Amino acid sequence: MIKVLFFGPVAERVGTNKVLVDHHEGMSLEDLRRQMQILYPAAFEIVCFIAVNGEQARDAKLPVADESEVVFMSKFSGG
Amino acid sequence: MAEQETKGHAIKAAVRIQEEDFSLDEEVTALRASSKRMGGIATFTGCARDFSAGRSVSRISFDAYGSMAEAEMKKLRSEAIAKYALLDARIVHRIGVVNAGEQIVFIAAGAEHREPALQACHWLIDELKQRVPIWKKEFTPQGEAWVTQHP
Repeated sequence: MIKVLFFGPVAERVGTNKVLVDHHEGMSLEDLRRQMQILYPAAFEIVCFIAVNGEQARDAKLPVADESEVVFMSKFSGG
Repeated sequence: MAEQETKGHAIKAAVRIQEEDFSLDEEVTALRASSKRMGGIATFTGCARDFSAGRSVSRISFDAYGSMAEAEMKKLRSEAIAKYALLDARIVHRIGVVNAGEQIVFIAAGAEHREPALQACHWLIDELKQRVPIWKKEFTPQGEAWVTQHP
């Protein structure tokens, strides 16, 4: 299982803060993103960063490990 | 919130995300307590404006990816200390509901001289806005809306 989290404006557009996704062999971050984007197209209009286990992911082509925590985030507006 | 006992006084952690308001006096006192070599302290306090993009704003609410936000703020503090040779630095950000006019964020940078303290303070707030996963929602008479910039 992969734990996918959403915060702020993305969470509002998805309608929830957390979704569990089945992991499959060879799954990349890009695969996961595509899968989520189909389900929540409005939310993904504003997604511009991805974090994996608390670190910003630079390469979406990398495989995502089972039990990972993945967060799809919009541009930050703190401060 | 993590606190450590120093000489009988409870000093709050140098990097914090919290719902409650913070005291500028308490933060600067804590910063000064770290070194007597500090010749310059620069601080930045960000407050909630009652007006934004042509609308009046009654309050703002903040959501954060807490664990990453705190880790990024700790990294920012360490980077600033190394980059500007600071003696100490503190960063506090509120989450939850903040009413118009209230404090949101606090940065303090202490160095031997004013120039690195001022530069580090400016660098820290700019980097915080870019790197720390926190989002704000504004409450206006027309309704509430997340502040979103499209990618």
